[in-house]
Amino acid sequence: MSRDQASLLQVEALEKRFVIRRGPWSRPLVIRAVDGVSFQVARGETFGLVGESGCGKSTLARCLLRLIEPTAGRVIFDGVDLGRLRPPEMRALRRRMQIVFQDPFASLDPRMSIAQIVEEPLFVHGIGSREERQAQVDATLELVGIEATYRDRRPHELSGGQRQRIAIARALVLRPELVVLDEPISALDVSIQAQVLNLLRDLQEQLGLTYVFIVHDLAIAEYFCDRLAVLYLGAVMELAGREELFRRPLHPYTNALLSGVPIPEPGRRRRQGRIILEGEVPVLTDHRGCRFRSRCPVGKDRERCAEVEPRLEERGPGHRVACHFPGELVTARP
Amino acid sequence: MDEVLLSVRGLRTEFVTRDGVFAAVRDVSFELRRGEKLGIVGESGSGKSALALSIVGLIEPPGRVVAGEVELNGRRISGLPDRQLQLVRGKEVGLIFQDPMAALDPVKSIGDQIVEGIRRHRRHLGRREARRLAIELLREVQVPFAERRLADYPHQYSGGMRQRVMIAIALANEPDLIIADEPTTALDVTTQAQVLDLLDRLVSERRTAIILITHNLGIVAEFCDSVHVMYAGRFVERTTVEQLFRAQAHPYTEALLRSVPRPDRLQRGPLPSIPGFPPSLAHLPPGCSFAPRCPAAQEICRDRAPATVELVSESTPVLAECHFARERLRT
Amino acid sequence: MIRTVGGRLLGSLAAIFGASVVSFLFLRILPGNPARLILGPLASQQAIQQQVRLMGLDRPIYVQYLRYISSFFSGDWGFSYSNGRPVREVIATRLPASIELGLYAFAFAFVAAVVLALLSTYRHRPVVDGTVRAISFFGLGTPPFWFGLLLLLAFSQALHLLPGPEGRLGPAVAPPPTVTGLYTVDAVIAGQWGTLGNALQHLVLPAVTLGLAPFAYLVRLLRVNLLEVSREQFITVVRSKGVGRWTAYVRHALPNAFLPTLTAGGMVLAQLLAGSVLVETVFNWPGVGALVVDSILRQDYAVVQTFILLSAFAYVALNLIVDVLYGVIDPRVRTPTGAR
Ligand SMILES: Nc1ncnc2c1ncn2[C@@H]1O[C@H](COP(=O)(O)OP(=O)(O)OP(=O)(O)O)[C@@H](O)[C@H]1O
Ligand SMILES: Nc1ncnc2c1ncn2[C@@H]1O[C@H](COP(=O)(O)OP(=O)(O)O)[C@@H](O)[C@H]1O
Ligand code: SF4
Ligand code: SF4
Ligand SMILES: [Mg+2]
Ligand SMILES: [Mg+2]
Repeated sequence: MSRDQASLLQVEALEKRFVIRRGPWSRPLVIRAVDGVSFQVARGETFGLVGESGCGKSTLARCLLRLIEPTAGRVIFDGVDLGRLRPPEMRALRRRMQIVFQDPFASLDPRMSIAQIVEEPLFVHGIGSREERQAQVDATLELVGIEATYRDRRPHELSGGQRQRIAIARALVLRPELVVLDEPISALDVSIQAQVLNLLRDLQEQLGLTYVFIVHDLAIAEYFCDRLAVLYLGAVMELAGREELFRRPLHPYTNALLSGVPIPEPGRRRRQGRIILEGEVPVLTDHRGCRFRSRCPVGKDRERCAEVEPRLEERGPGHRVACHFPGELVTARP
Repeated sequence: MDEVLLSVRGLRTEFVTRDGVFAAVRDVSFELRRGEKLGIVGESGSGKSALALSIVGLIEPPGRVVAGEVELNGRRISGLPDRQLQLVRGKEVGLIFQDPMAALDPVKSIGDQIVEGIRRHRRHLGRREARRLAIELLREVQVPFAERRLADYPHQYSGGMRQRVMIAIALANEPDLIIADEPTTALDVTTQAQVLDLLDRLVSERRTAIILITHNLGIVAEFCDSVHVMYAGRFVERTTVEQLFRAQAHPYTEALLRSVPRPDRLQRGPLPSIPGFPPSLAHLPPGCSFAPRCPAAQEICRDRAPATVELVSESTPVLAECHFARERLRT
Repeated sequence: MIRTVGGRLLGSLAAIFGASVVSFLFLRILPGNPARLILGPLASQQAIQQQVRLMGLDRPIYVQYLRYISSFFSGDWGFSYSNGRPVREVIATRLPASIELGLYAFAFAFVAAVVLALLSTYRHRPVVDGTVRAISFFGLGTPPFWFGLLLLLAFSQALHLLPGPEGRLGPAVAPPPTVTGLYTVDAVIAGQWGTLGNALQHLVLPAVTLGLAPFAYLVRLLRVNLLEVSREQFITVVRSKGVGRWTAYVRHALPNAFLPTLTAGGMVLAQLLAGSVLVETVFNWPGVGALVVDSILRQDYAVVQTFILLSAFAYVALNLIVDVLYGVIDPRVRTPTGAR
C-alpha cells in the first residue's frame, strides 16, 4: 500500500513496554503491552482494533494520542511525526485528535456540570470568547442528541447512555479530525448500544470524522468498521478489510475468535464446528517463535512455530496475516 | 417430558431506599423442568439478579421478598426459616455469579472455599476426603494442575479460572438446579466459549436444570431451550428459543432482537434502536411499563397495564404481556 | 516479599535513628546548660566547667551523639537527679506497671470493639447499631480523667464491687516475686492465686478507663469496614453454599474487615503502653506516664530522653509485628500475583 495523501494516520513499528519491579533483588519484568504494531488509517474511514482483554488495545490507543510515551516506533498524523513535536506543537495538534474512553461513569468529573464538561476543552485550548464557547457547546450537545435542559445537570443525574453522549460531545467540541473510541459502548445496555452506534455513524457522516474504534465484540466490529486489525498479546495477527476478514479469516486466532461469537439465531448452533481454545491469554514477556503458539490448535506441535516468529505478510488484497500456516484452520461461515 | 423441578408463583421483591420503593421483581411466575436450560434476558437493572437471589432467599435488607411462593422438588421453600433454607442452598441449588473477581474471599485459599461448600452438606466427610473431592471438582472444570493449585489464593488465578472455581463450588454437591447470573459477561469470547461448553456438558451428563441469566441474545440462542424476557421487573414474554427468534409477541423483544448487530448479516444502514431509556423501578409509568418507548403504543397502553396473554404459535406456547400480543403473532 | 521485609527493616532503622537524634538534640536545644541543670543554680563556674568536661559536652557534637548512643545500648541510660537514682532503675520500677495496664486496656478495647462492631453490623438492626454508635461517640468525647472518677464513684464508693484508687494491689497484699514485673503474670508463676485475684480487681477500672477512647476509635473503624465487606459479593457466594449468616460473617467478613484495622490496632497498643498521666493520677497507678510528666516539670531530661527512645523502639517493634500479621492474614502480601 502506498502512503497516499488519503492516509490520515500512520503507525510504524509502535512499541510500548512496561517494566514492573517486583523487588530490589528480583529481575524486573518487562511487559510488552504493544509490540511492534504498524497500520495506516485513511481519512474518513473507521479502523477497528479487536482483541481480548489485556491484549494492549487501550495502551495502543493512548500511544496514538501520545497520552503515554511509546517506547519505540512512530506515529505520523497528517504527515507530521508526533514524536518530533515539542510540547506546544503537540498541544496544538491535540485539537485535531480526541479520545472517548470506555467507562462513561469514570471519565466525567462528577463535580462539573454538563455544559462545563463539554466546554472544558475549548477553554483549555483558549478558543473563542465566552459567548462563542457557549454557542459551540450548545451546538455540540444538540449534535449528540442531548437536550438543552440538561446543560446544568451533573453526570450522576444521567443514565449511562446519556453520559457516553456527553463524553462524545466533549471529544467533538473541538471539531477534531480523528477520534479514538476505546470501547465506547461496552459499558452500555443492549438497547442503548444501538442508539450510540447510530449516533457515532451519523456524526462521522456529518463531520467527516476518521475513527479508530476499539472493541472486543466482533459482531459490533463487523457492523461498524471498514478495516480491522486483530491484536494478540500486543501484536497484529491479521489485518484486512471487513468483508475479507470476516469472510476469509486466515489466522487461527481470528478463526477461534469468530467461532466463539454466539450468533443470535437458533438452529445456527455451531457448537460442532466451534474451535474452543485451551487456556487463557498468557502474560507476554520474552518469547520465541509465534506468540499464539501456546493456544494454537494448528501450530502447537510444529517446530517452525516454536522457532520462528511469523511476520505480518500480505496473503491477499490488503489482507495481511502473521502466521506460518494461514488458512489451515477454517470455520464454516454462513 | 421431564417433571417440574422449580415453580415460582407471584414472586415480588422490593428494595426500600431513600428515593422510594424499587419493585425489582414484580409478581413473576414461571416453571422449570429437570434438564431444562432456561435463559432470562433483560437489561441491567431489570431485576434479573434480584430474581435469582429471591428464589433462594438471599435478598438482604433494604431488600425484601414481599410476596410469592417458590417450590423446589415439590416442596415449598419460600418463607422457610433461614436455617432450613441453608440446607437447600449449595445442595439442591448452586449459584454462579457475574463477577468472578469479586466472588471469592480474597483471604481464603481456593481449596478451603470449595471444601467449605462440600463439608457444609456432607458433615461426615473428613478434611482429607473433602479435599480429594475438591481436586476432582477442579479437574472437572478443567483447572490445570488442580492438585497444586488447590492451596492457591484467588489473586493467583485469572478471571477465567476464577469463574471455573465458581462453577466448581456450585457443582460441589451435585445440585438439581444451577442459577448462573451472567456467568460469562466478564469473560473474553474464547473463555466464554469454554465456560458455556462446560455448563452444557453438565446438563447432558447430569440432567441438571440451568437458569442462565444474561443480556446476550447470542448466548441464549446457542445455549437455551426456553427464554423469558424481563423488562422493568416483569417477564414480558415467555416462550421457547426457536419461537422467540421466529416471531416476537412483545414489541420490546422485537426491538431488542433487531438492535443487535448480527455478525452474519452485513447491513450498513442505521441499526434499529429503542428510543429513550428503561424506566426507574421506583417511578413506573401507569399502564404498560414499556409504553413510553414502544413504537406500537396506543391510548389503552398508557392507561391499563396489559395482562398476561396465553397464545400458541406453530404449536409452541407463548406468554406475553402486551395488549396487542395476539394480533402481533397472527400477522 | 523480600522488598516488603527489607524495606520495612530499613524504615525501622531510620525511625529509630530519627528518634535517637531527636532525643539527643532534646538536651542541646532546650534552654539552660545541662551541667547547670544537674548541679543546680548555686554551683560555681568552675564546678560547672568540670561537669561539662565530665559529661563530654566540650567535644564535637557527633562525638557526643555517638557516645550517647553507645552508652544507651550498653545499658547506661544516664542519671536521674530528681530521683537520685540511675534512669534505668527508675524506669525499671515504673515501666512494668504501665505495660500491664496497657495490655489489659488494649485487650478490653480490642475485644469489646470486635464484639460490638459485629453486633452492630450483623443484620440491619437500627437499634443495636444506634446504641453502639452512641457508645463510640461517648467514648471518643469523654475525658478519661472524668470517666475514671465516675467509675470509681460508682463501683468503688457506691457499690463496693471493686477497690478504690490504691494502685496495683491492696494495702495488705505483698507484690509477688518479680519475674516479669507484671503482677498478674508473676502471681501465676508463683502460684499466688489470692494475689492474682487482687491484682485483677485493681486492673479492671483503670484498664476500662484507659481503653475507652481506643475502643471507641476501633469500633468505629471496624464497623465501617465490616459494613463495606458485608456488601461484597463473596459474602453472598459464601451464603449460596448454604453457610449460615453468622458463620459467613465471622469466618469471612471479619478477617477481611480486620486488615485495614490492623495498623490502627498496633498504633493504639503502642500508645497505651506508653502510659497516661491522667489515668495514673486518678487511680494512683505507679506508671511511666506520671514519671515522665514529673521529670519534665523538674527538668530531669535524662528520663525524658530515655523514654522517647524506648517509645520509638516500641513503635517500631509493634509495626513489624503488624506487618508480620498482615502476612499471616492476607495472602496477597505473602505471595505475588500469578496471572494478570
Ligand atoms: N501502567 C501499566 N503498568 C504495567 N502494565 C500495564 C500498564 N498499563 C497496561 N499494562 C499491561 O499492558 C497490557 C495491555 O493493557 P491494555 O489496558 O492496553 O489492554 P486492553 O487491550 O485495553 O484490555 P481491556 O480489553 O481489558 O481494556 C496488560 O497486560 C496490562 O496489564
Ligand atoms: N441493594 C439494593 N438496594 C437498593 N436497590 C436495589 C438493590 N439491589 C437491587 N436494587 C434495585 O433492584 C433493581 C434490579 O436490580 P438487579 O436485580 O441487580 O438487576 P439486573 O440483575 O437485572 O441488572 C435495580 O433497579 C435496583 O434499583
Ligand atoms: S504461526 Fe504457528 S503457532 Fe502461530 S498462529 Fe500460525 S500456526 Fe499457530
Ligand atoms: S401493551 Fe402497548 S405499550 Fe405495552 S408493549 Fe404492548 S403495544 Fe407496547
Ligand atoms: Mg482497555
Ligand atoms: Mg445483575
